[in-house]
Amino acid sequence: MDLTRAMLRAGAARPHVLTVTMPGGTAVRLAAEEQLRRRGWPAAMTPADADVLLVAGDPAEPFAGVLAETWRAMPAPRARAHAARPGEVAAALEAARARLGDRSAQQALAAPAAGDGRDPHHDRDGAADGHEPGTGDGGHHGHEMGGESPGKMGGAAHRGHDMGGMNMGGMGGQDMGGMGMPGGLRMAGRGADRDGLRLDQLHVPLGPVLPDWPAGLVVHLTLQGDVVQRAEAQALGPGAGGSFWSEPWLRAAAGEPVTAGEAARRRAASHLDSLGRFLAVAGWDDAAAVARRFRDGALAGAPGSRLRPAVHRFARRVARSRTLAWLTCGLGVLMPDDAAAAGVRGPALRAAGDVTARYRAWCAELADAAAALDDGSPLGVAGPEPPRGPEDDTRAPSAGLLAALPGLLDGAELAAARLIIASLDPDLDEFPARAQASHDH
Amino acid sequence: MITSAPLWSVLVVPAVLAAFAAAAVAADALLAARAAGRPLRAAAAAGPLAEVPRLLAGQRRTTLAPDALLWRLGVLTVPAAGVLAALVIPFGDVTASRMSVGVVWFNAMEVLTWAGLWMAGWGANSALSLVGGYRFVAQGLAYELPLMFALIAAAAGAQSLNVADIAGAQSHLWFAVWMPAAFIVYLVSVWAFSFLGPFAYPAGRDLAGGVLAELSGVDRLALEAGRWLLLTAGAGMAVPLFLGGGTGPALPAWAWSAVKTLAVLALLVWARRRLPVLRADRYAELAWVVLIPLTVGQALVPALVDLTR
Repeated sequence: MDLTRAMLRAGAARPHVLTVTMPGGTAVRLAAEEQLRRRGWPAAMTPADADVLLVAGDPAEPFAGVLAETWRAMPAPRARAHAARPGEVAAALEAARARLGDRSAQQALAAPAAGDGRDPHHDRDGAADGHEPGTGDGGHHGHEMGGESPGKMGGAAHRGHDMGGMNMGGMGGQDMGGMGMPGGLRMAGRGADRDGLRLDQLHVPLGPVLPDWPAGLVVHLTLQGDVVQRAEAQALGPGAGGSFWSEPWLRAAAGEPVTAGEAARRRAASHLDSLGRFLAVAGWDDAAAVARRFRDGALAGAPGSRLRPAVHRFARRVARSRTLAWLTCGLGVLMPDDAAAAGVRGPALRAAGDVTARYRAWCAELADAAAALDDGSPLGVAGPEPPRGPEDDTRAPSAGLLAALPGLLDGAELAAARLIIASLDPDLDEFPARAQASHDH
Repeated sequence: MITSAPLWSVLVVPAVLAAFAAAAVAADALLAARAAGRPLRAAAAAGPLAEVPRLLAGQRRTTLAPDALLWRLGVLTVPAAGVLAALVIPFGDVTASRMSVGVVWFNAMEVLTWAGLWMAGWGANSALSLVGGYRFVAQGLAYELPLMFALIAAAAGAQSLNVADIAGAQSHLWFAVWMPAAFIVYLVSVWAFSFLGPFAYPAGRDLAGGVLAELSGVDRLALEAGRWLLLTAGAGMAVPLFLGGGTGPALPAWAWSAVKTLAVLALLVWARRRLPVLRADRYAELAWVVLIPLTVGQALVPALVDLTR
């Protein structure tokens, strides 16, 4: 028994944290990523890998089901943490770690779930269920069958948005009623593939709980093998209070005094954040870590004289990497005409090309922005534009990115699809409440 | 002269292998800490080793309708393959098994991970995991043939499939010196069969961990440890195959084996962080168009040398 206690404590020394970012929670996410980086706590990739579920930002209604599913899919010992403001992150993480290493807290957590097999926090009517196209019947079987233990439950409830959007309940083709399978799942439906063969189709939603993924984005994929046949992008929940990344411009538009240096800093940090995500998806962990370190430095107000040479060096290294260019060339080509038609602005429009062209555009603009970090002049018309392009009254720049997405994903392999999405990196917080979803074909 | 150790030495092999693997993991953690801008302290190096109690105390989870037998079997196959592959590696002047077909044994054990990872990916009944499992098969199609030709080059150079004989045949000149292409392809393939670094494609971040996505507790520990055991076994095997085994001045043979193994491990751990993940579709093209002809040509060199001797 003492061994259990000692193991719990040793395991809690370096908990893996799964951060789920709410709409408008970007600032909290950034604080959480910085905390994890400084502490050396790994960011969990899936609920299976997570000890702590950290909710960053004010919990939004469409996420209630997602959070319940994610929590259910996490193995014991586990702890929940919530930070509504960036300043609350450190305390929330510490408290979660304390609960993680505390045996009685873990037993208390397990007890009610062992009784009726349900997480007491879970809203059974499942607000999220209505938001999960493709769930079919399989999802509900997940609720009913895994009742004996929290572990079984975690697995059985394995559907919907958990596991980075792996939805085995949604595996059933909608046209295959009556084909039973153990666990209440249905067989995969079939459809013609690009060569005219009839192959199994898998309906796989990507997001919203996925590492290095835009907060609140769900991309519903129809896969044959790992080739995307159809993609549909959906934004979960409206952004609250505008985007963190375009905040200096919004404040300037509202008449507040904003310096060009402040805007350049935010723009550099935004590109570093996008690059960090993209490089992580490309599997270049070290470069991603460096990008995030510089991003945190830029946001924390590190002096431009110190940041500039380091950021220049980093941008050059990434832009010149032949391996990375070899891996991404020819993927997700977005020509200027199509981009403009979709409403894409900013670097993705100027890049006018494939994934390689887009990350190189970030690198080039990053170097420019880094040169103006300490510019004290007021932000004017000639100053830096917001990271994803200028705002206008009709549509946010990210709405254009989202509209262009499905067309680019058609026929891409899953790995390429992730790279394409990461190379666009839409910021869903830019959306006003009215534009909730963007559908293609 | 490399001699066969008594049978109980089979039990020592996993312990030695695990010790080297732990050193590699610690070095890797230090490099990660440097990239993230954390201070390089002992705690940073020991961090990943704290995963052992964490995962042992953690709950084993399951998924909806998994193929439990294949899943668990696949997960266990990977570390088992790493340990079994290491049985034929001479350490200094002893070896656990002086098998006459040691090179073939090593190759066969490494190929076991094909089955292991595919089963681990399939069994979880989850799309990300499944794609991860198939990614390793695709990766295998790309890396395996160049690796085999690299092994054949070393075996042809010594005219033997016995690893001890191959090490003994390099008393004058290391094979790494006159078969550099085979050596480099071998080292790259070590990453590939341990699915680490630029070959972490089956467990990629873009798949939220791929084959690892659904694993927790001891299952995750087994698969994660298996990767590092395979990497260490691969680094250890590079020493008798290409770096002259335990031969060297001044130090005893076991010390030379240890030094060379650590040097190869350090190279693999350091260089793996300098590259993004190579997608199998792109690497397969390189492997089939460039690496296979290159390694076939490389295997011809010792063959011609043997003929003219």
